[in-house]
This record gives sequence, structure tokens and C-alpha cells, in this order.
Amino acid sequence: MTPAARLRRLFAESRLLLILVLMMAGLSLVSSRFLTLENLTNVLWSVCLIGIMCAGAIYAPITGGIDLSVASIAALAGIIANVLMNVVGLNWILALLLTLVAGLGIGWVNGIVTTRFRVPAFIVTMAAKTYLFGLAMYLSKGDQITIMQPRGFLAIGVGRWLGLPIPIYIMLALILASHVLLRHTAFGRRAIAVGANEVAARLSGVDPDRTRIIAYLLSALTATVAGIVMASLTQQAYAMNAGGYELDVITAIVVGGTSLMGGKGSVTGALIGAVMVGFINNGLNLLNMPASYHPLATGVVILLALILNQGFRLPGFLRTWLSRQA
Amino acid sequence: MSGAGGTLLDCVGIDKSYNGPMVLAGVDFSLRRGEIHALVGENGAGKSTLIKIITGVTGRDAGTLVFEGRELPLEHTRQAAQQLGIAVIYQELSLIHGMTVAQNIYLTKEPQFPGIRLIDVRRMNRMAQELIDRYGFRLRATDVIDQLSIGQRQTVEILKALSGQASLMIMDEPTSSLTSAESAQLFEIIRLLKAQGITVLYISHRMEEVYQLSDRVTVLRDGRKVAVLEKDQISPAEIIRLMIGRTLGEPEAGRRPARRRGEPVLEVAHLGSEGRLEDISFQVHRGEVLGFGGLVGSGRTELMRAIYGIDPHDRGELRLLGRPYVPTVARSIAAGYGFVPEERRLQGIMGDLSITGNIGIANLDAIRGPAGLVSGGKELALARQAIDLLRVKPGDPAIPVGNLSGGNQQKVVVGKWLIRDLKLLIVDEPTVGIDIGAKEEIYQTIRLLAEAGVAVIVVSSDLPELTRLADRIIVLRKGRVIKEFAGGGVTEEAILRASSGLLEPEEVAP
Repeated sequence: MTPAARLRRLFAESRLLLILVLMMAGLSLVSSRFLTLENLTNVLWSVCLIGIMCAGAIYAPITGGIDLSVASIAALAGIIANVLMNVVGLNWILALLLTLVAGLGIGWVNGIVTTRFRVPAFIVTMAAKTYLFGLAMYLSKGDQITIMQPRGFLAIGVGRWLGLPIPIYIMLALILASHVLLRHTAFGRRAIAVGANEVAARLSGVDPDRTRIIAYLLSALTATVAGIVMASLTQQAYAMNAGGYELDVITAIVVGGTSLMGGKGSVTGALIGAVMVGFINNGLNLLNMPASYHPLATGVVILLALILNQGFRLPGFLRTWLSRQA
Repeated sequence: MSGAGGTLLDCVGIDKSYNGPMVLAGVDFSLRRGEIHALVGENGAGKSTLIKIITGVTGRDAGTLVFEGRELPLEHTRQAAQQLGIAVIYQELSLIHGMTVAQNIYLTKEPQFPGIRLIDVRRMNRMAQELIDRYGFRLRATDVIDQLSIGQRQTVEILKALSGQASLMIMDEPTSSLTSAESAQLFEIIRLLKAQGITVLYISHRMEEVYQLSDRVTVLRDGRKVAVLEKDQISPAEIIRLMIGRTLGEPEAGRRPARRRGEPVLEVAHLGSEGRLEDISFQVHRGEVLGFGGLVGSGRTELMRAIYGIDPHDRGELRLLGRPYVPTVARSIAAGYGFVPEERRLQGIMGDLSITGNIGIANLDAIRGPAGLVSGGKELALARQAIDLLRVKPGDPAIPVGNLSGGNQQKVVVGKWLIRDLKLLIVDEPTVGIDIGAKEEIYQTIRLLAEAGVAVIVVSSDLPELTRLADRIIVLRKGRVIKEFAGGGVTEEAILRASSGLLEPEEVAP
């Protein structure tokens, strides 16, 4: 490869990071409060639930599906955890493990219905979103339940280690694990292959159904973790918790360069996508923009980021120069 | 209608480059009115670019185009070409399923009731039927596309192009997805078009067709015109020599030294599958190339899918290396099968993934390291190995396979199995739509594999390919084995007759 070609490839791969850096540069120009350690930590903290969900939810689009039920799973997970800890009275660690098992059960149902019964993932997880929300309402009787104990559980959301909130560590650990899973394991290769061409993947020895079921298990698992963290940091079990988060998760995944058509995905990209959305909200706050303007501004900025990431090209004179070097 | 003589199209000194290398350099090309003219050349010789320039899809950098005595401007457009009566039929059929023949023919130019913008279905069907009858095709305007055979679909495609009063019909590899019988039908249609005074420009990789069909042949190589052959100068060997600029050292069928075959690799006994396969028995041995012939729909592909383990079978037994075997895809791969499916784009490649990704997916067992992590280095090494073995071009493992030419895509599909401990390789239509150079390399690979002791099963509709490659040929018809030919000496005609059920009484298989 010529140096120019290498430069071009590097540029294409880090385009998203470049947009993020430009965004940060812009924000630090308009507000002196932006580029402080405290503010940056705040942004990371504000996106950690979305980031945790992205780590698993990304496998649905990579395999050519989608998971719209992650927000409902998160809300339900908080309620189940509370019931197990404070109604049944289990040890909190055992209660959380059982909650994770319940979450896996939900993912398994999503996966089975999508693969064995051949119902499109969009519809399956849309239905799951509704019935899981219904289940959450039923279990909580529609109440906002305040969680006062146990202290170990509450420490997950509000605790800090080396000055940083624990949820940020959970997010980074899950993102890292998911990145390794996608890039460096056989499962990751299979997931991409199934999304890229299911028939060719099957003829190469991949079991597409099994791969898809695992994708929905992972998606439900990280949604459950997010639900537990959320219940802990809001000290609340509530069916409306995380409402609408599924769209933020999909936004972050897509901004991060994952194709909704399958076969292409980036976990680190999804994290950057989530952080980008965090920066937009943070910037609007720093600029003292009224909250009623936030959705409008967020939507427009996301659209711009997507356009830049799709068709962003070097200026003409630079391209000519590069092709002369090649 | 003017029969022969007169120039329909004259291209002089056509130059074209897409940012950099010249794709066409000073190409002269002319078509006589009412002739069947073949344009041949390897992939990348510039055939498609020349067609695109004639049809106004892409512009030319220099040179003149004269159509029916009128010089066409440099900014020739697709619309202008259509109005002049230049029609094109592409390799992939562009018909819409679920619609009728008439609806497809008049798509976007449906006749409407005067005054209101509503489609006059009855008039449209009548117009379509008149068009069909004028050319003497056996089709009904109201047939739905899905019910038609591939050959009939191609007829509809041609009618669609004819509906705009074509004087030049360009066909880009029309037979690449057809069986021999269907191709024969298409040739009838082409001759019919010629009889109607329509000039046909024909692109094909199949030399026999070019030989049978064409009045003249233009050969392109590396963007230059190498030769124009008149009818009496056309021979497959000569065309191939001109196309690749050297003589191929390949003897014809039957002259290859008999290969010693070893013990059976796969034994199939009385295999049956409801409605698809009936009582099929055969063996394939180490070091042998076993060919399967028959028409499309004769059960060849279904048989391959059954023995590879994609579809289950309901009757019969398989033995692999002497032991009873119930195939599943995963088991077959682990046991040393390789499978190259019929439809490369749909079933063979993952177009958006790199060469490395495509090769890695079938070799996950080999690239998995300690702790179950995939080793990128091992994967890359395997990809490089496959690239070197089959001379995939370009040889950059990071290139998406979808960007490669058809021949190189096929090399990747074959290559992912070659780096394994291969016992049995199944290839279904291995050379459809790929250029002659890549084809030769794939043939060579198949022979080398057999010599190395691999059992190879080749399914093909291309009869010369079958007779050239296979030591034995089994012909299927309606899901049954109808005839087995021992190696060497078998003629294409004999295979074709068996495939069509035209056996002499004494020839019928026991």
C-alpha cells in the first residue's frame, strides 16, 4: 500500500473520531466550562446507561435484526431486582444474579421467536417492548417505588472508585468485552457473517439461528445490567424508567457506523456515538438553552453527524494532491 | 427490412479512462445492419465500457460514434440511445416478480385511457400479445413472471427491450444463467431477431456459442481492438488465442492421461427425498473428478445440498470414508468437505467483507487460539495462502470481495476450502460468468486437487466443461440417475440427449 492509500484508509476509519474531536473543539470554544475533567466525567456518566445497553444491543443490527425492547427490559429488571431484594428478601448479590437470569430468559424468547418462528425482529421486539412494559406495570402496580436498601446495591449507582463513578467503569468494561467479542472471537465473526450474507454463512458452517439467538441474549443481558445500574443510581424501581432509551441506543449504534442492514459494526463506534449525543446535550446545557429546545437541536446535530460520516470527503485540492502522490 | 450490408454503427478511435489507466485506447468498432456480432475479451478487456459508451451510460474521452449515418455528440445520453433504437439486455434479469408479462414489458410506459391517468389494462395486454405474436414467441401476455422458466423470462426481457422499436439489441452475457437447452432457445430468438432485420451485439464467455451464432467477431484485449474475424475465420481456438494473446496448452477432452482412482470417499446408496430425488446411488473416489450433468431442475443442486447436509433426505444411506454418515453442514466441513455453491453472489460470497473475512469464516477452527480468541495474524496468513494458491487479483486481503471481478470472487470461494485438509470438494457451476483466464485457473486447480487425492464432484450445465474435467459423468433427469458415462470419449451430444430424455432404447440405464 502506498503511504497516500494508507493515509486515506486511516482517515476513513477515524472519520468518526475526527467529527467527535471537532465537536469537542467547538464546544470548548463556546464554553470555558466544557473542557474540564469534572464536566467530561459528567458527560461520560450521563451516557453510561446508553453505553452499557449498546455493548450488547449492537449484535441485533449486526446480524441483520434490531432490538426495540431494551428499554422495557431495563425498567423491568429494576423492578424484579427490587422485588427479589426487598419483598422476597434475598441477599442482594443473589437477587441481582437471578435478575440477570430473568433478563437472559427474555432475550431467549426474543431470539427463539425471531429465528424459529421466522417473525421479523422489528415486530418481535416491538411486541416485547409492550408486554414487558405491561409486566413491569403489573409488578409495580404502576408505582414509583423508592429503594432504600440494601446499601451494597445502592453503592453500584452512587459509589466512586479513584474519583470516577462506578457505572462508568461498568460501561467501559462491557464496551471493552463486547469489542473483544466482536473483533476477536469466533462468535463475532459469525455474527458479522450472518448479517453480511446468511446463506453464504450457513454454507460455510455457521448456524445462523444459534448466532441470532446469542445476539438477543447479549442484548437482553446488557439491558438488564443497565436496568440494575439505573435502579441503583435513581434509587427507584419504576416501569417508566429508561422510557425511550431504545431509540437513543439505536442512534448511538448507527452514528457509530453499524449498518442496520447487518454485516458491519463497531462497538467503539457505538461508544463514540453515545458520547457524541452526550456532548450535544451537555453543550446545550452549558449554553443555557431551555430544555424544550433540546430534542430539536439533538435531532439536527445527529442528522448532521450521520451525513458527515456517510459522505464526508476531503476538500478537492487535498484529494487531487493525494492522488498525485499515489 | 434491409438484410445484409450497410453500416449501422461506426465507432472510430474511442478513448476512455476512469481517472488514470486507459480502459479503451483508440478502439475502432463497427456493426453491419442485420448481423449477429460477438464482442469477446477477458474480464477487464474493455467490453463493458465500450457497451456503456454506445448506450450512453458513460461518456467517451475521444473518438467519434456514427449511428445510422448520424454522428452522435460527445455528450451522448442513455435517453438519446433509447430513442435511436439501441436496446440492452443485461446479465441479471430486471423483471419484477408477481407482475404479468404485459406489466413488465410496459413498465413506466403503460398505455392510459385518454384524458385520465389510469392504466388501460386491456389495451396493454392486447399490445403485449401483438408484440409477442409478431416475433412468434410462445407466451401469454397475462402470464405471471414467477410461473415462467428462466428462458421464458429472458424472452420477456427481450420483448421489453423490443417494445421501444429497437434496431440494435445488445446482449451482455445472456446465457450465463441458462442451461444448454435454454441457451438453444435463446439462439433461436436471436436468429428470429436477425430475420426481422435487427442487429444483435452479443457478449459472451462461451466460445462455442460465439462460434455457432456469430456472423462476425470483434476481439478486445487490454482496451485495444485486436482483431475482427469474418464468419469463415471464426474458430474457438483462434478467438481464445487472440483474447489471451497466447495459446492455451490444454488438450481436448479424453486425451488426458487416465488418473488412478483410490478408495471411495463418499458412497451414496438409494438416496431419496420426497418430490426431489429418487433412488440415487453413486460413489466418488479419492483422486477422481466425478461430473454431474442434466438440465436445471433435474435434481443436481438438490443432490449436492443433500450430501453436504443443507437439506435433509428421507431415504437411503451415506458412507463417508467407509463409515455411516448423516450429513450436517458443520459435520461435513469438519470431515473435510468443501462446497462451492451455484450462485456466487447470493450464496458464495459475503460481498461487503474482506477476502480475509470470507476465508476466515470457513476456517474458524483453524484460526482460534488459546482462550477461544481468534488470531488475526493466523487469519491473515490463511487468506494470503489462499490468495497465493489461486493467484487472486488484486491480492490485497483487506479488499471487500464484492469489489473483485467474478473470476476472482470465485477463486475466494474455492480458496477458503483449499487451505483445509480437504477430502471432498463439491463445485456447482464453478465457472458461470467468469472470464477465460480465471476459468483455466479453476480447471487447473480442480485437476491438481484430484491429483493430490481429493475427490471432486463437479456439477455443470457447460458441457465442454464437464467432458473436459470429469473422469466419469452421471446424468440426472427428474431427480433420478438416468445414465452414467465412463471417462473419456463421451460426446457433448450424448450428454445432452440423456439430459433431455432422448435415449436410444439400448442406452437406458438399468
